[in-house]
Amino acid sequence: MMDDYLSFEQIPFGSDSFANNPEPRCPCVLLLDTSGSMAGKPLDELNAGIQVFKKELMRDSLACKRVEIAMVTFGPVTVQSHFETVPNFHPKELNTTGDTPMGEAILMGIDLVAQRKKVYKENGIAYYKPWIILITDGSPTDEYAEAAEKIIVGENAKAFAFFAIGVEGADFNILNKIAARKPLKLKGLLFREFFIWLSASMKMVSVKEIGSTINLIPPIGWAEL
Amino acid sequence: MTWKVIASSVIGTTHIESNTSCEDAFNYTIINNNGNEVVIACICDGAGSAAYAKEAAQLVTTLTIDTITAFIAKGTLISKALLIDVIESIHDELRLLSLKQDKPFEDFACTFLCAVLFNNQSIFMQIGDGVIIQEDHNNGYAAIWWPDNGEYINSTFFITDDDYLSHLKITIIHHPINEMAILTDGLQSLVLNSETSSVHQPFCWNLFKWLRMATSTDEVTILQGKLEEYLNSDTINTRTNDDKTLFLATRISSTDD
Repeated sequence: MMDDYLSFEQIPFGSDSFANNPEPRCPCVLLLDTSGSMAGKPLDELNAGIQVFKKELMRDSLACKRVEIAMVTFGPVTVQSHFETVPNFHPKELNTTGDTPMGEAILMGIDLVAQRKKVYKENGIAYYKPWIILITDGSPTDEYAEAAEKIIVGENAKAFAFFAIGVEGADFNILNKIAARKPLKLKGLLFREFFIWLSASMKMVSVKEIGSTINLIPPIGWAEL
Repeated sequence: MTWKVIASSVIGTTHIESNTSCEDAFNYTIINNNGNEVVIACICDGAGSAAYAKEAAQLVTTLTIDTITAFIAKGTLISKALLIDVIESIHDELRLLSLKQDKPFEDFACTFLCAVLFNNQSIFMQIGDGVIIQEDHNNGYAAIWWPDNGEYINSTFFITDDDYLSHLKITIIHHPINEMAILTDGLQSLVLNSETSSVHQPFCWNLFKWLRMATSTDEVTILQGKLEEYLNSDTINTRTNDDKTLFLATRISSTDD
């Protein structure tokens, strides 16, 4: 039954995203390190980068309907926004918070992706392989073995693609142990360049046939190779 | 009240730009048949190339409802043969109108979609495109027939065609259905997935969810307004520029409060 306090006038008739948008979805989760060490310039640049990400995707009408973004910050691990198509993704200004529970954040990202796939299936919506993007400038302050194992299992099962991006100060020894793909190092604080690359990659994925293999755009301009 | 029904025809954006009118028409009635409510619905899409498409669509929907209502009131058994007679008489009425007005018959071209829902059987008829969708008793929705567009996507068949009877589809299902949607081709691309030849389920789930929830005629009236708003919204208008009609009916189950 409807809640008595919600009038029938207010029901969202005809506003369901899956009802109005049968396009296949291309989910992308951002796992963002907002620990104390990101304070100041790094976080400012990260915030600006996320805005650029949205702006770049908004320029592509197909990507607007297909790409869905979710955003998780740590620590503590917080879902800043659940999966939304680009026009409905309204990234909040991020602030630095506590420590770096990277393992828990990764498990959350993997869980969000699994849940989203279930929703797609229930709604008869086709989908592309999800991307999980980790951005960190430190090393985990929690246990990360389970996360690392789940990444390997997920990558092998083609359940998702996991990318680790280290900012100056990140522990690449540990990132190498966590990510099945080789972690990349961000040049300086070139978050904008990174997010332009990510949006271009998402656009490229979202125009392909589902299941087709893609050649990633080389990470030129933002990564130290 | 056994049935909750909402329906609306809304002019397409290209018809607004060209200053023409909405050439879709619908008509429906709910009549009492020995203590059971029967829904009779008819929807026609007037051909864009036909000068009197709007008049034709309105005449056909009205005649269909009136004729079938009269047969049911008399207790006449509704057979396929009788329904073919009904369509032939409507075709003839339309021809008579064109003769009276001294206009070419093809200027009265329109498609034809009709459903009659009894408590123990369901009748469907169709000429041309548009689609009638029924619930499949398994929380899903299925088209009675896939839209008949002929060879080209922008062409179809009309009740005024010389060989209209060869494009007339009739089926009588001997069990009740509890939910039905009828829509004209303006909404086809939003509701039908041509790649998989299936109904886009979330579209139906989302709209029927609210109609099922309505508990009074006031709430059904609110939904009627919301349906018109929805068909007029950017959400719809960015995806179709044609006239669009949507008819939704849901039977109140005996287990409902």
